[in-house]
Amino acid sequence: MIKIKKTGLNEFIEYLMNDYDVYGSADVGKKTAFKKIDSASEIRHDITNTHLSPKDVFFPQSEVLFQYSDDGLKVPKKNEKPIAVWGMRNCDTSSLMMLNKVFGDAHQMSEKDMYKDPYWKMKYDNCLIFNQACNEPLSTCFCNWFEGNPFAKKGADVFVVDTGDYFILEGISDKGKAFLTKYKTGEDTTKADLNKIAELKKTAESFMPDVVDIKPLFNKMNKIWDEPIWEEISAKCINCGACTFVCPTCHCFDVSDEGKGKKGKRIRLWDSCMFQIFTREASGHNPRGLSTQRVRQRIMHKYNYFMDNYEQHLCTGCGRCVQVCPVNLDIREVIKQVLDYKLVKNEDN
Amino acid sequence: MCNCENTYIPIPMKVEKILIENPDRSLRTYDLSFVNEEDRKKFTYMPGQFCEFSILGKGESPFGIASSPTEEGILKFTVSRTGSVTNEIHYLQEGDIVGIRGPMGNWYPLEKLKGQDVVIIGGGFAFTTLRSMIVYMLENRDDYGKITVIYGARNPDLFIYKDELKEWDKRDDIILHLTVDKPIKGWNKLCGFVPTITKDVKPDPTSWCIVCGPPIMIKFTLPVLLEIGFAHDKIYTSLERRMKCGIGKCGRCGIGSKYVCIDGPVFSYEELKKIPDAF
Repeated sequence: MIKIKKTGLNEFIEYLMNDYDVYGSADVGKKTAFKKIDSASEIRHDITNTHLSPKDVFFPQSEVLFQYSDDGLKVPKKNEKPIAVWGMRNCDTSSLMMLNKVFGDAHQMSEKDMYKDPYWKMKYDNCLIFNQACNEPLSTCFCNWFEGNPFAKKGADVFVVDTGDYFILEGISDKGKAFLTKYKTGEDTTKADLNKIAELKKTAESFMPDVVDIKPLFNKMNKIWDEPIWEEISAKCINCGACTFVCPTCHCFDVSDEGKGKKGKRIRLWDSCMFQIFTREASGHNPRGLSTQRVRQRIMHKYNYFMDNYEQHLCTGCGRCVQVCPVNLDIREVIKQVLDYKLVKNEDN
Repeated sequence: MCNCENTYIPIPMKVEKILIENPDRSLRTYDLSFVNEEDRKKFTYMPGQFCEFSILGKGESPFGIASSPTEEGILKFTVSRTGSVTNEIHYLQEGDIVGIRGPMGNWYPLEKLKGQDVVIIGGGFAFTTLRSMIVYMLENRDDYGKITVIYGARNPDLFIYKDELKEWDKRDDIILHLTVDKPIKGWNKLCGFVPTITKDVKPDPTSWCIVCGPPIMIKFTLPVLLEIGFAHDKIYTSLERRMKCGIGKCGRCGIGSKYVCIDGPVFSYEELKKIPDAF
């Protein structure tokens, strides 16, 4: 564990930039997001949850799969430097671990390389994540429902706490520890620093909402698929898809070609299960033609289907969908609604 | 680049032969050969699997492989002209180069079918992977018991692989029941929808059954099979969904916690009844 005086942090970030392409939370247009920085001063340290999640560092909103021309196919090369992300919050660190199960480990098909996503792997596999504690969680935060907390370190390479005058850095993974050992300029931490961290943690936890026990959620969801609750839940949804775009765990995408004649590129782009066209087949048949079916798909995927495949929920409680929803469809309320729901069609046991 | 390192890169294929299957030219069968010998060696598949057919500049669409692994060197796809990619496929000429990604998904339970009587029920141009299956079984004829095929189309023009159907009809080691929706002049075979004909044919319920066709046909044929007394784990079907990646990531072919592209497209009725609203 080392500490770096805030006034010396830019020096640390620049040291990091020697070996890594560094991403940090910053202003992007009128919103905040994680972006690749050219100078340490671009990073804003006062943002808790960025408007857009950092998933696009590893799974960009649009990504060229290959270019084609008369000379054949050209696949984008891996960047020379690996990626480091400064200031990621644990909800987002956790979400990347979930996405890695889909894109990286190909857990269900572990034996077959064809199910691993090379574009994800070339960015995520060697990355270094500086996971920062949230001293002041937002009113929309509910990571504590999902075994998270503002000071969680799971999935971090280096855990960072802002103690006012200092940033305290604790190596968590081997990669993280090795990096801190290499950096000679940090100061040693004292007992007072540890006390300060404990105090900050306690304050941060007091910001969090009461924990809702979501253990029964999976089983309950097994029984509500054809229940009228979905009409209630989806009634005000306008299928805008904003929740899926800001969500750090949503990962549906489209593959589309751009070009004219023999020259062009094949691109993948974020897509959304909220859109009718997402599942509409060329014949006109659409298995999820109704808004209710699409809302059910999203909620069931988060709290039931993903659990079935990977034994965890596909949600980290970051609260971005709550912030962004234009009709105030609050996913925390949906969870409570499902838990409290009295089955009409199926037996409760 | 090898397709196993990057599944998104299509394998180049040459259009060897195009067969127009029906008078309105809306169904065409493409025989593709591998441009690179290396790709040909690596590409092993089983009846029931599918590929993403790729036209650079237009995109990709999934199609069941209609050839059988016993037909070496070529891959056969039958394409109905429906959307923008299939339109472009219909513009292809013999000699053109296209791309495919695959083979994807699982396949019909050929190991389990060994030594068993098999009933194949198909509808319309979804007969593609069923053709693969039938050709495969006929090529390994001694491995299987009685083979019964029930195949329906809206009208006689809409059957695909008409020459092969004629050949099979002459053989005594495969029983073919062809049916069209409505009586039509010159058609001397069966008339009626597939579920009704299945009821009339009443295949032996100790056999294994593979059903593939439009969702509505599957939906009404399954109850008939159950009524006849087929075991739930001996009925198999192949599902279709809009797909993009084909490797369980892009999200659109999800049904319940399964993805049609990697957990299917072949599912037993035993599995399907646990998945809500599969068709």
